[in-house]
Amino acid sequence: MAEVQPTRMELIKLRRRIAMATRGHSLLKMKRDGLIMEFREILEEAKEVIGSMIEKYEKAQQKIALAIAVDGAMAVKAISLACCRIPPTFTIKRKSIMGVVVPVIKREKVRKKVIDRDYGVLSTTARIDEAVAAYEELIDAILEVAEIETTLRRLIEEIDRTKRRVNALEFRVIPSMEETARFITFKLEEMDRETIIKLKHLKAKMARREAEEARKAEAEAKAAA
Amino acid sequence: MLIGKNATWAYIVARTKVMKRKLIPKEEFRKLLNMEFNEIVRYLEETEYKKEIDELAYRYSGPRLLDYALYLNLSRTYSKIVRVSFGLAKELLIQYLRKWDIWNLINILRGKVANATPEEIEETIVAAGERDLEFYKNLIMKEPEEIVKAFEGTPYNEPLSKYGTVPISEIEDELFKIYYTEITKLKPAELSLKLFVDFVKMEVDIKNIKTILRLKVEDVSAEEIVNKIIPNGYELSVDEARKLAAMSWDELTKSLEGYWFWKGVEIEKEFSTIEVEFDKAWIEAIARKASNYPLSILPVLQYMVLKKVEVDNLRILGWGKWQNIPNEEIERQLVIL
Repeated sequence: MAEVQPTRMELIKLRRRIAMATRGHSLLKMKRDGLIMEFREILEEAKEVIGSMIEKYEKAQQKIALAIAVDGAMAVKAISLACCRIPPTFTIKRKSIMGVVVPVIKREKVRKKVIDRDYGVLSTTARIDEAVAAYEELIDAILEVAEIETTLRRLIEEIDRTKRRVNALEFRVIPSMEETARFITFKLEEMDRETIIKLKHLKAKMARREAEEARKAEAEAKAAA
Repeated sequence: MLIGKNATWAYIVARTKVMKRKLIPKEEFRKLLNMEFNEIVRYLEETEYKKEIDELAYRYSGPRLLDYALYLNLSRTYSKIVRVSFGLAKELLIQYLRKWDIWNLINILRGKVANATPEEIEETIVAAGERDLEFYKNLIMKEPEEIVKAFEGTPYNEPLSKYGTVPISEIEDELFKIYYTEITKLKPAELSLKLFVDFVKMEVDIKNIKTILRLKVEDVSAEEIVNKIIPNGYELSVDEARKLAAMSWDELTKSLEGYWFWKGVEIEKEFSTIEVEFDKAWIEAIARKASNYPLSILPVLQYMVLKKVEVDNLRILGWGKWQNIPNEEIERQLVIL
């Protein structure tokens, strides 16, 4: 505050900045509330998607357990050599939710027909198909969860950032600027008062001088007469 | 005293009859179903499987030990049958067991495609076929091109030479088709050979019907289904398979009535359970035929199938108990006759 020049121009600038900060504060509050609402909606969706992923995981575990039990660990291992090392393909695009850039995963369905899988039909059984299908669905679900989880994380980060900005404006920036404005106003008033007193002093001095001069002139006139 | 053709079979049938007596009776499976995993292993330690369990115990534990021990016992049993047989019987058995060679070859190729380590590939080998474990160990260390070269001059060379240009799944199916076609195309001049060919043709029928239903469930086109059909079935020819593949599900299940394998199959169940029912139908049909021809290759093949079923049942029990699969589900997957 020591560096602030207590001038009228500075006060005008400061008042403009306070007005802008107040407007920004209310906009950020609205953005924060909007993001929270968006977050809640996506959270509900995420709960469903995660729940379904857990179900698919449990189903896949049961199916693989059955496939291992019936066809043997060797058969399942042999199939895994053929088909489970091909990573799923997907492209990441972006979309904006209230200015927050979130990913949209465009994935090619991992789920394939038996005929398109990397193992033969004649040397395998339906249990292997069921287990592979269950895991393909699980991978799809994991990608879906990854997408929604990243969106939620980005939203949380943005909500947090916006909250910090709102709080900084509300409790630090605006009060500090208002205090500075009050200080400048006080200083300006002080200066006004000083000027008035100075003027009054000057006026009294001038009046006294004029009275003296008038007295002198009167005395000279009397002496001349 | 047996003389002539029947004498060839009498010896091998007598040997397998003795071996068949050592199979675990079906009542025992009910008891095993109510046991815990450790109790099952303890039970097996008092049976034919003790040697293999003890032998592999230093390397594996839990259900993997059981799995590998069962397969080792199976391959040793098959080797023993081949060892004690002679003449035509030996030739036929070797030819039948070549499917394990195909299985091993496929697993090696899969491993090569996936850049698996030699140890990983070796764990999938079941040396129950014509070639021994050493042959496969050498093969695993070779490059895919050398593996293909090792099969030059055999019927399997053609699909193998496509390695790297077509998906491995196509090669797998082609290899199995060639395996079955090599046997079923034989024109048997004598009864013993005819019984063997018919046995394999019945296996082909089971494979084909499973393929048709399995692919039908997945909405695969009729043409693609026919591509996966093994020719020369017992009752199910390629033309019939084509007709069945083109039908709707309801028409298909109705049309199957009357086929030898369609006995007591309930289509409402899960498909994996239906596969078990086909296996049961097949084993029952073999048992009937084997009792009609007691001095033939059939009792030997029946024993080999029953031994495989026993190994599968024990593995289902072991892994099922280990993985906490409910008893009802384990029972559904067991082939108990």
